[in-house]
Amino acid sequence: MISKKVILTGSFGVGKTSLFNQFVHQKFSDKYLTTIGVKVNKKAVEVAGEEVSLLVWDIAGEVTQDKVPTSYFLGASGILYVVDLSRPLTFKNSEEDIKYLKELLPGAIIKIVGNKKDLLSDTELTQVQKSISLPLDSTTSAKTGENVKELFLDLAKEML
Amino acid sequence: MTQGTNRIKTADDIALEKLKDILLRNDRKELDEIRSILNDQNKLAEKVNPILREHFQFLKDNFSSDYETIINDLVDKKLKQSEKELLDLIYPSLGKMISKYVTLQMSSLKESIEESVKSSFSFTRSFTSFFTGVKESELIIKDAVVSTIEEVYVIQRDSGLLIGSASKNNSMDDEVIAGMLTAIKSFVEDAFNTESQDLEVIEYGSYKLVIRSYYSFYIAMAISGAMSTNEQVEVQERIDTFASYKMKLFKGRFDSSKYEISKQLEQDFIDL
Repeated sequence: MISKKVILTGSFGVGKTSLFNQFVHQKFSDKYLTTIGVKVNKKAVEVAGEEVSLLVWDIAGEVTQDKVPTSYFLGASGILYVVDLSRPLTFKNSEEDIKYLKELLPGAIIKIVGNKKDLLSDTELTQVQKSISLPLDSTTSAKTGENVKELFLDLAKEML
Repeated sequence: MTQGTNRIKTADDIALEKLKDILLRNDRKELDEIRSILNDQNKLAEKVNPILREHFQFLKDNFSSDYETIINDLVDKKLKQSEKELLDLIYPSLGKMISKYVTLQMSSLKESIEESVKSSFSFTRSFTSFFTGVKESELIIKDAVVSTIEEVYVIQRDSGLLIGSASKNNSMDDEVIAGMLTAIKSFVEDAFNTESQDLEVIEYGSYKLVIRSYYSFYIAMAISGAMSTNEQVEVQERIDTFASYKMKLFKGRFDSSKYEISKQLEQDFIDL
């Protein structure tokens, strides 16, 4: 079995832990409990007949990525940079953040994820997508589970 | 009264009013002054605060002597009423404190025994030690105090991915443990900006996590029980030897095809 380190990062309150819980435990809670430091969990998935163990590091939210201890990112094969589609403030720094992450981990697969899709209508979602400077790789809802599993599976596939 | 207000004042009434004015003038003036003090918060505070201050000072000076018995009785009563709740609160912390204290005492006991052994001589013990290769001090205390390597993890230094592990108990997922350990280690090293230093020991009650860092990986061992300084040195030497086998096996590249051989190494290490 191959093990890969995946980082869940982004501003605070964007739903990183909820995505993590939805993917690992298929659970969602409305209660907001801020992540302190980092929480590591594991989920094994099968990609192209191969079992991949995803070690997901759910990192406490920071307004900009340069505030996250760099050692947390070391050795990561994939990064999920999560923004909250209903709060434009959470994707204000996305361009600088992605540039910073690419410099820090040149070989890693980075995906920009727009979460809380369930809070927006289709028209609103299109407007938000237009307003973000970098294109979103995936739009998800940790609440309904929409696109969550697919997001992690796609990442696992690209990391192999 | 209504009748009185409508009635035309007579000369007698006017005279009476004047007399009242003369007689009560001073009293009325004082009454007005008192009213003005009572209605004005600042003026009232000016008058009352010194009295209160004096009273508080009196309470401060005499509280213990005057109220000690009453307070003691109240506390005693409350303690008796909440005895079970208090025990529930204190017991877990007390247990941990005792356990840690006993471990510490055992460590110093082992060290003092080692010291005593160095300065004393026993033919039988020396004879047994010579033929078995077991240290004399260990022969004395081996049945009394036991320190055990419970778990061993070999972890990739940067990523925190597990290279190999062995455990005597069925603990939680070893890959998650490796990740969290790396996160804690990174946090401590980042927080205290210790570029050239590594986190070496984490203690939890009588449980000790010894960490030895190498260039591309680190080894963490969970040890239960008390360890003397000499034993710690021995364990570190054992880890170093074990690490050199690991380095030879992986040659800097952590290849999953070698994990099975690697796992056997960990198992052998923990079974020693």
